[in-house]
Amino acid sequence: MLKEDFVIQSNIRRMLIRTNVDYSRMDFGTVKGVVYIRGVFQISRLYTDGDEEKVKELTIKTLYSFEKKVKSIPGVSDVIFQLLNWRKERGQWVPLEVKRKEEKENDENKTESNL
Amino acid sequence: MMRTRRNPIYKRILGEIEKEIQIHPRYADLQNQFALLLMVEGEMERAESHFLGALRLNPKYREAILNLGFLYIAMRRWKEAEEIFLSEVKRHPRDGFLHHVLGILYLQTGRGKEAAARIHKSIRYHSYYRDYYKKKKVWQRGVVHLNQKAERTLKKIHLNQHYGQFHNFVGLYLAKKGKSTQAVKELRRAARLKPDEFIFHANLGTVYTYQGAYPKAIQEFQKALKIDPSYGMGYANLSYVYGLMSHTQEALRSMKKAVQMNPWYADLHYNLALLYSDRKRYEEAVFELKKALRINPNYLFARINLGVLYEDQKRWKEAKREYRKILRITPDDEHIRKRLERIS
Repeated sequence: MLKEDFVIQSNIRRMLIRTNVDYSRMDFGTVKGVVYIRGVFQISRLYTDGDEEKVKELTIKTLYSFEKKVKSIPGVSDVIFQLLNWRKERGQWVPLEVKRKEEKENDENKTESNL
Repeated sequence: MMRTRRNPIYKRILGEIEKEIQIHPRYADLQNQFALLLMVEGEMERAESHFLGALRLNPKYREAILNLGFLYIAMRRWKEAEEIFLSEVKRHPRDGFLHHVLGILYLQTGRGKEAAARIHKSIRYHSYYRDYYKKKKVWQRGVVHLNQKAERTLKKIHLNQHYGQFHNFVGLYLAKKGKSTQAVKELRRAARLKPDEFIFHANLGTVYTYQGAYPKAIQEFQKALKIDPSYGMGYANLSYVYGLMSHTQEALRSMKKAVQMNPWYADLHYNLALLYSDRKRYEEAVFELKKALRINPNYLFARINLGVLYEDQKRWKEAKREYRKILRITPDDEHIRKRLERIS
C-alpha cells in the first residue's frame, strides 16, 4: 500500500526523537516513499562517555538499527543516506574521517615505495 | 529554609551530569542543569557556583540568570535576587512573569506597596495573572488587595516556577534516556506547579508523542497553544501527531496555521507541500516548495520533491532543470541520475 509522504515523514521525526541520535545536524526528506537522510550522524552526548572507540561502535550499531527501522515504516521503498561523516560501502558503515586518514596513509606508503 | 526532595532518580541524574561536565566542562547548559539539581538537593553554595559558571560561559543565558535569581530567593539573599529580576525587567519590561516574581519577592521582604505595584503590572502585561490573582482574591474590581491571608498564600508559592523548571528538566532528561513513563510523571508535576507555562505542556505533548499516546499529545499541544497562541511550532507539532495518526486533513489544517505563523521557516513549507502533494493538490504543493527554496536555496529535499512533482505533471523541462541542480550539489545521487536519464 502506498503511504503518504507526510505520514512517513512524521514517523521518521518520531523515530529520531526516540533514538540516541543527536539529530541537530541532520535533515531528512521523503519523496514518493524514498527517504533521504543528510548531514552529520552522531550519537547524543547523553549516551557517550568520551571513549572514541566505544562511540564508533555504538554509532555503527545505531546506523544499522536506524536504517532497519526506517525501512520498516509502511510505504518506505528505499532509504538514501547522504551523510557527511559516514558512508555505507559493500554493506558496511565506514566513518569518513577515518577513511580519509587511511587513504592518506596509503598514499604516503605508495609514495615511499615509489621513491 | 528550602525544602529538599530526596529522590534516587534525582541523585542518579546528578551523578550522570557531573560525569558529563568532566567530559564537556565548557557546556553552559550542563552547568545550569547541574546547579538546578544541586539546588533541589539543598546544596545551595555549590549550586550558586555552577550557575555562575554557566553565566561565565554564556553571560546572556537567560534560564541560568533566572535560576540564580530563584536560588537567591531560596537563600533569602533578597538584595541579590532583586538585582537580578530588576535587571531582567529592564530588558523585558512587559514580561508579566518577572513583575509577578518581583511582587512575591517584595511580599517576602515586607514591602507591601511595591509588591502591589508589581502585581498590578503583572496583571496588566499577562492575562494569566489577572485570572490567577482573581482566584487568590488579590485582584478585585481593578484593585490589588493584599491582606494577611493572601500574603501567606503567595509567599508559599514563590518557588513554584523554580520547581517547575526542575521537574521539566528532569522530565526531558528522562525522556531523552528513553524513560518516557517517568518523564511524563515529572513533566506533569512541572505543569501542576506552573500551569501557565506553555513549554511544560508542549514538552508533555512531545513525550506523549514518543509514547504513541497521540490523543494525550494533542491535548497537551492544544493546552500550550491556549496559553500562548503565538507558539507557532505548537501547530507544527500538532500536525505531526495528526500525521502519525494518518489524520491528514487535520494535519493539513494545523500545518497551514504553523506556516502562517512562521512564514520564514522553510521546513514547514516543505511539510505543507508534502501534505498537498499527498492529496494530489500539485499546484499548491509546487507553490510551497518554491517558497521553501526561496527561503533556503540549498534545501535539497524541497528541490527533489519539486523535480518529482514536475515529472508527475509531465513538465519535463522544469523537472530536468531541478534534477540537474540537485546533481550539482550531490553528484552521487543515483536515484536522481536515473530519473534524469529516464526523461532526457
